Amino acid sequence: MAAPEAGIDVALRARAVDAITTQLHRLLKRDGPITEDMLMAEHLGLSSSLGLELLLEVEEVLGVQIDVETMDPERTRTVGELATFVAGHGRPW
Amino acid sequence: MTALDAVSVYTPETSVPIEDLSEPLGLTDMQVKLFRRFHGLDEVRLDRNRSLHDLLRCALHGLTALGGNENRVRYVIHGRAMPVVVPYPENPLHDVCREFGLGHASTFTVTQQSCASGLLAVELAGRLLAEDSRPDALAVVLTGEKAFTRDAQLLPGTSIFSEGASACLVSTTGQRDRLLSYVCHQRGEFDIEIGETTERFQREYRPALASVMRQAVAEAGLALDDIRLILPHNVNVVTWQRLCLLLDYPLERVVLSNVATGGHVFCADAFANYRTALDGGLLREGDHYLVAAVGSGNGATFSAMLFQH
Repeated sequence: MAAPEAGIDVALRARAVDAITTQLHRLLKRDGPITEDMLMAEHLGLSSSLGLELLLEVEEVLGVQIDVETMDPERTRTVGELATFVAGHGRPW
Repeated sequence: MTALDAVSVYTPETSVPIEDLSEPLGLTDMQVKLFRRFHGLDEVRLDRNRSLHDLLRCALHGLTALGGNENRVRYVIHGRAMPVVVPYPENPLHDVCREFGLGHASTFTVTQQSCASGLLAVELAGRLLAEDSRPDALAVVLTGEKAFTRDAQLLPGTSIFSEGASACLVSTTGQRDRLLSYVCHQRGEFDIEIGETTERFQREYRPALASVMRQAVAEAGLALDDIRLILPHNVNVVTWQRLCLLLDYPLERVVLSNVATGGHVFCADAFANYRTALDGGLLREGDHYLVAAVGSGNGATFSAMLFQH
């Protein structure tokens, strides 16, 4: 499991991991396990357009708005990295 | 040196909220939400009562600098995304040329680079003028298209097209908006219409566009920090948010204000954003600005032009 950054809301991050994996299973119609270290594009086949749908679903489940303007796709490639970003750069609607 | 002497843009006044297009375009509620939340689209401009001929005429009508200079115009080039736009033998381009006293000019259309064909038309205009025997010769570059079918209205998961047109007077002697560099990478391997390379195209899109933009800046002997503004294509906002992270360029200096209500107008985006920058006082004398365009279809084209205002 990737180590969350200092200062991250651990509970929110855990909820983000849960939301991301649930939505990835649904969007990709995938039955197998999805772990935090998996690369979403390379390992799971997530396209950039489906990636946006994932973000929208995660926003709705968590009730936050993700700051996509500062979201670098190169640094949010794994489930764990994306969860850390969401926990650190999401604000309530 | 190629220069833009005057630019006119026409967009229909009729705005259509993207929700109203969900049924005709077959969009789900989620797809509409995505367009609003991440792509930054609120409404598009469509006018069922105006033909392509009308769009081109409106753009040319706004090109007031043309008046009195018609005889100097040697070339009229229509940069267009779609190869077939009217039934044979209609030819709205020839019709508007005759109406505006340009019937004597050599007139043709380029569509080979899809939505990047507008920049190609500017480049070709400059090349033709440079070889012309008359030093005061002018060219008119037109863009303009109707979103007349579902394929012409929607880039699935990416953008929704608006209708509009532009007219641009090009010279080799103008002192404003001089073209310093043009870089164009044609990538035939991306056959987006077939669909097999869509995912790879999505992955390589931003690096490929960033590459031509950096190269255009370098060829002009400048650095990105020297660029006052980027005039983007208006495909969507999220692409530019991510491209700015990749380029390390401030997003607030990318003219994105037309995306929400003006939309992606095929080859006209660059000219619409130029007018917005000019009318909004965003460009001062001597400023450098970078124009970027991407065309995709049967192959993809990534283009960047660097101008000095």
